[in-house]
Amino acid sequence: MSSSVFQNQSSHRISTHGVGSVLRSIFAYRISCVGFVIILMLVIMAVFAPSIAPQDPNVQDLYHVLEGPSRRHLLGTDDVGRDLLSRVIYGARVSLLVGLISTAFSAIIGVFVGLIAGYKGGITDMIIMRITDTFMCIPGLILLLVMAAALGPGIHNIIIAITLLGWTGFARIVRGQVLIIRELPYIEAAHAAGASGFRIMFKHLLPNAMAPVIIAVSMTIGGSIMLESAAAFLGLGVQPPTPSWGEALRIGYSYLEIVPLFSIAPGLMITLAVLAFNFLGDGLRDALDPRLRGEGKKVE
Amino acid sequence: MKSFIINRIAYALLILFFVTILVFSLARLLPGDPIQAAAMFNADLSNQEIVSELRARYGLDKPIYIQYVIWLKDFIQGDWGTSLGSGEDVLEMFFRRLPITLELFAGSVFWSLIIGLPLGVISAVKRNSWLDAILTTTSIFGVSIPVFWEGIILIYLFAVIFPILPPSGYVPFAESPIDNILSVILPTFVMGTHGAGLFARYVRSSLLEVLGQDYIRTARAKGLREKSILLVHAAKPAMIPVVTIIGLAWGYVVSGSFLVEYMFAIPGLGRMGVDAVFARDFPVIQATLVMVTVNILLVNLAVDLLYGYLDPRVRVRGNLGQ
Repeated sequence: MSSSVFQNQSSHRISTHGVGSVLRSIFAYRISCVGFVIILMLVIMAVFAPSIAPQDPNVQDLYHVLEGPSRRHLLGTDDVGRDLLSRVIYGARVSLLVGLISTAFSAIIGVFVGLIAGYKGGITDMIIMRITDTFMCIPGLILLLVMAAALGPGIHNIIIAITLLGWTGFARIVRGQVLIIRELPYIEAAHAAGASGFRIMFKHLLPNAMAPVIIAVSMTIGGSIMLESAAAFLGLGVQPPTPSWGEALRIGYSYLEIVPLFSIAPGLMITLAVLAFNFLGDGLRDALDPRLRGEGKKVE
Repeated sequence: MKSFIINRIAYALLILFFVTILVFSLARLLPGDPIQAAAMFNADLSNQEIVSELRARYGLDKPIYIQYVIWLKDFIQGDWGTSLGSGEDVLEMFFRRLPITLELFAGSVFWSLIIGLPLGVISAVKRNSWLDAILTTTSIFGVSIPVFWEGIILIYLFAVIFPILPPSGYVPFAESPIDNILSVILPTFVMGTHGAGLFARYVRSSLLEVLGQDYIRTARAKGLREKSILLVHAAKPAMIPVVTIIGLAWGYVVSGSFLVEYMFAIPGLGRMGVDAVFARDFPVIQATLVMVTVNILLVNLAVDLLYGYLDPRVRVRGNLGQ
């Protein structure tokens, strides 16, 4: 995107929205609050799972398999008689862990690569951008599927695979920002003052490119949780017996007619988690970056 | 315009070349010996001679980069190899399943547009009202809901509680047109949801942008009715930026097809890809990945060209998103 078009849009937006934009910000704020509260609840659920869960999630009871809700098992039991509620509570651990860690790695790698591409420009930029383009034109889920199969199942490999997919988005965002910022006079001033490239990148460019990165972090956590559960749904996720929402959904799906809650409950949790991070990201977007106000996912 | 078109095509070819390298390496990284997997059913693996003959036949005894060149050359010439699992010709498998997946694609685009466009327009017209708030939240919901969960909920509702649609399976159009339509309603709806949410949000912001322009105010001042302002003056310019979202939405449709065909047991390309990953059937995996990418690159190329045609500024600026 060129900076002129961008600035056009922003000045235009600010001048035309007025009261409407304030109203919308308030609503967006409310939406991000809802997201934040849900995330907080999920984190509490994951951290204090042993105290919250009514039963051990891994204890099988083969006399009580595939039961509906009862007083003993509030959500019923799964195919080997484990308490579904406890497994759903423990399942928050895998989803949040994968979402947070893979996004953290993606952001670190992507920000670093994006800074270099944007700052160095030329051939470095071209090579880096063609690599990100290559990754981005294969749909994430399909690439994840092949990578997960190549690396083998397990939580570490899922995190590695999702990170390999996730960094490209950050690299593009940061590069785009840097291309705009590096033309500003204060960067020229820094050059003139003899600042090193490293210093300019991390001290002067990065802080001013952070707003869209923070928004992307929230969105990427949601996306990573979705990818992890999709992989688990296809049987390429964490190894049993670790409780995972996607895995529960996969097995529960075959018993949909007998015990619908077996698949519906964990699926609801995945949706809630993804939704919460998207809500938060949406609110953050409105709060941090007025230029992007009201737009869908940022598309260049 | 001409140099713009050439530029975009050259770029797409370059990316495609990179993708073939990535795809080839990924397929080779898959654990498990493909020969073991392939020959399990039809050869005696304890016999070393047979094994090495098989290796030679599939070219697995050569260095990896030679294998890549051979594979690429064969692939371009239409020799996609044979499935290690079933022994079928991969090209034939692909084209037999292609129409099924294309039908799903068409159906999901239909749902995306028929839901997404009106939602976006209503949100924009009634901006900052409660209706807008509800619709905007709905569109975030549409973007966030996992394909497989939405599929399960809809199967439960429309196949278990109210059994009006088949829970899974696919009926070819030639066999029974009505059953064919019934069998693709749920899968295509699920695949199209993400796109619908994206379209709704993008149409809303794009329309809001246009409705704030001076010439719309002029149209209002002239006393034109809101309806004709919206349809005649605002709709067309508002749709131009929406074109750019098609590429992104398309990616979701394509990856959605993998999950949806798997869960609805539809014998299309997505199902073929998932099964091939499970079976480590790398000729099929490679073909699927390359063709998926070709498809995405073609759609994005079309989007770029269309956008360049509709908005001359893009042509001058050169590459989209550069």
